Amino acid sequence: MASHNASGHNEEHHAEGMYVPFTSQREVVNDLVTKHDKISDKWLSGVAAAGFLLVLGVIGFVMRVNDGVSDRMVWAYYAMMFSFILTTASAAPMVAIAPRLANAHWRRPVSRVAELWSAAGIFSLLLFIPMLWILPPLTDGRRSLWFYNSDDPFFSKVPVYSPHIWTTAALLSLAALGIMLLWLSAMPDLALMREHSTGWKQKWSARLSGRWIGTTEQWNMLHHRMGIVGALYFMMLVFVHYLVSTDFLMTLVPGWIDSLYPLTHAANSLQAGVATVILTMFFLRKFGGYEDYFTLDQFWAMSKLLFALSLLWFWFWFSSFNVFWYGKKPSEQAVLKYLMVGSYQPAFMAGFILSFVTPLLVMMWNRVRKSFWGPTIMSVAVLAGTFFDRLRLYVAAWSYPGVGDYRVDKHEIPFDSIPAANMPGVPDVLIVLGVIGGAVLFYLLAARLIPPVSIWEQKELMLYKLHKAYHRTEVLVLGKPR
Amino acid sequence: MQEHVQLSQKKINDDLLAGVLGMPKWWLGAVGFLLLVIATGIGAYGYEINKGLGVTGLNRPVLWGFYITNFVFWIGISHAGIMISAILRLTQAEWRRPVTRVAEVMTIFSLMAALSNIMFHVGRPWRLFWVYPYDFSRGLFMNIRSPFVWDPSAVMTYLIGSTLFVYVALIPDIAVVRDRATGKFAPKIYGMLCLGWRGTPRQWKLQAIAGILLSALVLPVFVSVHSIVSWDFAVAIGVEGWHSTIFAPYFIIGAIHSGVSAVAMIMALAMWMWKLDNYLRPDHFDAIGRLLIVVATTWFFFFFVEWIFALYTLESPELALRELQVFQAPYMWLFLAFLLTSFFIPVPMWLFKSVRRSPGLMFLSTILVNIGMWLERFLIIIPGLARRQPLQFDWGSYHPSIVEILVVAETFAFVALGMLLFSKFFPIIPIFDMKEGMQVREEIKIGRRIVPASIRETP
Amino acid sequence: MAENKWGMIVDIDKCIGCQACVVACQSENNIPINEEGHFNQRRAIEWIRIERYWEGEFPNVRARFVPVFCQQCDDAPCEPVCPVYATYHNSEGLNVQVYNRCIGTRFCANNCPYQARFFNFWEPEWPESLKNQLNPDVTVRSRGIMEKCTFCIQRIRRSTREAAKDGQEVEDGDRGMSPACVNACPTHALTFGNLDDSDSAISKQSKEELKQPAGSRPGGRGYHMLEHLGTHPNVVYLKKVDKTAEEHEVHG
Repeated sequence: MASHNASGHNEEHHAEGMYVPFTSQREVVNDLVTKHDKISDKWLSGVAAAGFLLVLGVIGFVMRVNDGVSDRMVWAYYAMMFSFILTTASAAPMVAIAPRLANAHWRRPVSRVAELWSAAGIFSLLLFIPMLWILPPLTDGRRSLWFYNSDDPFFSKVPVYSPHIWTTAALLSLAALGIMLLWLSAMPDLALMREHSTGWKQKWSARLSGRWIGTTEQWNMLHHRMGIVGALYFMMLVFVHYLVSTDFLMTLVPGWIDSLYPLTHAANSLQAGVATVILTMFFLRKFGGYEDYFTLDQFWAMSKLLFALSLLWFWFWFSSFNVFWYGKKPSEQAVLKYLMVGSYQPAFMAGFILSFVTPLLVMMWNRVRKSFWGPTIMSVAVLAGTFFDRLRLYVAAWSYPGVGDYRVDKHEIPFDSIPAANMPGVPDVLIVLGVIGGAVLFYLLAARLIPPVSIWEQKELMLYKLHKAYHRTEVLVLGKPR
Repeated sequence: MQEHVQLSQKKINDDLLAGVLGMPKWWLGAVGFLLLVIATGIGAYGYEINKGLGVTGLNRPVLWGFYITNFVFWIGISHAGIMISAILRLTQAEWRRPVTRVAEVMTIFSLMAALSNIMFHVGRPWRLFWVYPYDFSRGLFMNIRSPFVWDPSAVMTYLIGSTLFVYVALIPDIAVVRDRATGKFAPKIYGMLCLGWRGTPRQWKLQAIAGILLSALVLPVFVSVHSIVSWDFAVAIGVEGWHSTIFAPYFIIGAIHSGVSAVAMIMALAMWMWKLDNYLRPDHFDAIGRLLIVVATTWFFFFFVEWIFALYTLESPELALRELQVFQAPYMWLFLAFLLTSFFIPVPMWLFKSVRRSPGLMFLSTILVNIGMWLERFLIIIPGLARRQPLQFDWGSYHPSIVEILVVAETFAFVALGMLLFSKFFPIIPIFDMKEGMQVREEIKIGRRIVPASIRETP
Repeated sequence: MAENKWGMIVDIDKCIGCQACVVACQSENNIPINEEGHFNQRRAIEWIRIERYWEGEFPNVRARFVPVFCQQCDDAPCEPVCPVYATYHNSEGLNVQVYNRCIGTRFCANNCPYQARFFNFWEPEWPESLKNQLNPDVTVRSRGIMEKCTFCIQRIRRSTREAAKDGQEVEDGDRGMSPACVNACPTHALTFGNLDDSDSAISKQSKEELKQPAGSRPGGRGYHMLEHLGTHPNVVYLKKVDKTAEEHEVHG
């Protein structure tokens, strides 16, 4: 209802371009609680579609299980999809954390959208379980972060399952921190639902919101905790990327000694995370009825972020590439050949164009950045680009032919000709669809439990953002609480 | 975020122009001392030109020494100016206002110091201009594949860009000085410099647009400069420990670490020397301290990853180099000092709000950071060269000669002198920016709480 | 004119570490006298140096000699990093140093894994009595620039020119074109020649030695120094024939 009425309202009372849909906190609360309370057909059909995809994925997975876990090559696409979810969904909460720490007002409706993606962190944890079996222990002689070396008296004592152990621990902590962040930031809203909702939701929110009554002390504590958990989430995210990109990717290709890559992996994930949130915002705006919250302000700010991170994509990629390419060492040239110009070249080019070239050329125009469609289409491009980038790396690494033939002192990739690309089979396609469907399903279900737009942050905004006459014009007064 | 110190416009003018229009007693003495250091350095350099680089401590395995270390160091320092100024301007952080010009001016002088190091470094400085596309009569373009060609182009672009950046922000203030300067020449010179500034709305609009455009354009240059400096090392396969892909971001974050520290240092100095207590408040040091915690931690993570990946290779030359850095004197002591001064002493200090809000302690801790970051560059450059792996026959070591030390001291004196001269002839705190800050400052009353706010244009 | 690609074979098995090549190079190429002080400063210039490594524990110590000089790499790491094209690759496969262009950044020396490049820290000086001995075909380098082994390019040029005068093409060892070190070596450990000429002794030998799997005899002793760096040197080293190692292999 809001969009048209509100824009009419807008034209009547305010200068052009200003958009004030609500005049009191009560209106905001009513609007958001009502919207969240009713189950819409669109949500149901979304759940059905995502569930269907997930079922397909399970079928694909079962087909793969039949092939066994000894041949890593058949699991290449699965590994890639695990990393894709880690790159997109798990990074999305960063969009809530960073702007909140920077005290930017535009993030208020966005932060919950982003935090809800940490629900998909649980899904990535589930996805990780089979990886434990697929990745062999360190005894195959590959290099690893854990310096296992069977010949050395000291380093032979390193547990041969170190990658599995540490990554599991880190992923568990990441998921836990994500849920904790979501819960913390939802606390005031849960308390609201406790007061305003009915039925199972009320019971459920009453249990989760605990003794929240919104005293000053509680608020201070909440802000403090959110800051700490957010910072920890960020650190853990970087650490998870560091572990996954090394132990589950780089070590599988012997000559690939790229100290920047773990950070590239993390930086790419921030870009993909922003894209994920923009896309979610768009869907919530289009189908969820949240037009009044996801305004041009949000899209504009997010697209600036996406633009900056797309530039960062290039810088990180080029920093790695330039050192390898210029150095001309055969081992590094072989890595470049295998990952960039060999059989995976189409995937690399697709990733390069979609993650960097297109965003650069399109989003350098402010008119595109300051629109609804521009950022949305670009985030689809970036997500597709991330998909292809992960594809060319993970599928290439997991399909690396010399499995079980590593020696620690080996400098070079032993093959003379680049092996053909590992093309996806039917199960792989099913897995790709299923994993995406699964992540979306987790998100949709989580959005059922917790309002996808943070009510208290909206209310706060009404306090901190005033319109004021200033000489002959009208200005915004933005409060920056400290 | 700022504590509220409301100052009248007249008071701002009086305070910030005191140095420009008057002449403090210590100023001439300081300038004289710095000129002496510079003269000694130039003398030493003349001796070096006359005799050849033999007068330095450089030798065959260690062909790059103090000068290159110092070059990287000053390039690093120069990164703070744009980092603080452009990024904070684009993100509209209010606390930036009194800090920006100090940082920007430091950028300019440290870039000049960095360039002079290249002159000290090369064997035949009188032909250094060949790295530019100049002297076409030779029929030879420079080799654009060389990082030493990327370097001068990036640094010069950066120097020109940041000079413009400073200048554009300086114009309204020069006009203020013009209106108050006395004497025969001063009004004329300031009059010329301020380009006919009258403060019309159109001029203000153009000045604001130019500032924002330059901020956005200088940022990619800022990133490119230190990436390229890092590639001077990273693209080389001949030296163990240099060929690492992380170098570009690692150098940048290290540069920001040392540069922002240097800004805090200079802020404290400026505050004491020009009595700017009303402008550089403890809040500004607090904000810089918070920024530094984030920057230092990120930098340390990069350092950690760089090390892990050096060990990860498990290749004996790399391991031998790292062993040299950490366990063998004298590098061991330098390494220890580097770790303590660049991270383990200052960062725990900054965690305390009382330290962050004390200019004296911030001054001390940031000096430590800069010592540490100087050592970091030294430890990246020298040990790898001293033990050129895997041919071990020509191992060596390096001790700087007195000539190098004097010349390096000269660069420090040069930057200090530059800052002193600048702050004597131009307001070191942007007057118009301070006044604007006073104008856009607001407050919102929520219940019994008063929240500081600022006025923004409606989007 | 046929393509030339100059190369060298160094048979380490024959090298006795006598340093005759070093002295010959020194006088041919106008390299300043390396006095003790220069060595102590580690600023001595030796275009060819005999690296001496000790092997084993006392009393069974053996010395190993490896002559190292510019490898004239096909993918020379020193070339792309020079900002002023003072070092570049010429059409005859040589890595050439143009003294007049050099500004002395020393980047090339850092990027040379063989450490074959030398910097003139001082203005070169000779005793009065030796000044007439300077080779007129070779530039005397000033302070502040790099220099390195040229494969005695002045000799190659001279013999090519003389051959061209007679309407012929230059061949290995023809008209005194061998580098000074090759001429001076008493054990013929060094062989110089045209690698692109399939009839030349050096191209046959290097092909033979590089073809076989490493370690097999006869032949198969050839290797390039620091091969894993991918510099593709034009100097082929032949491994030392290690009697004790072979005995060890037979018995073990």
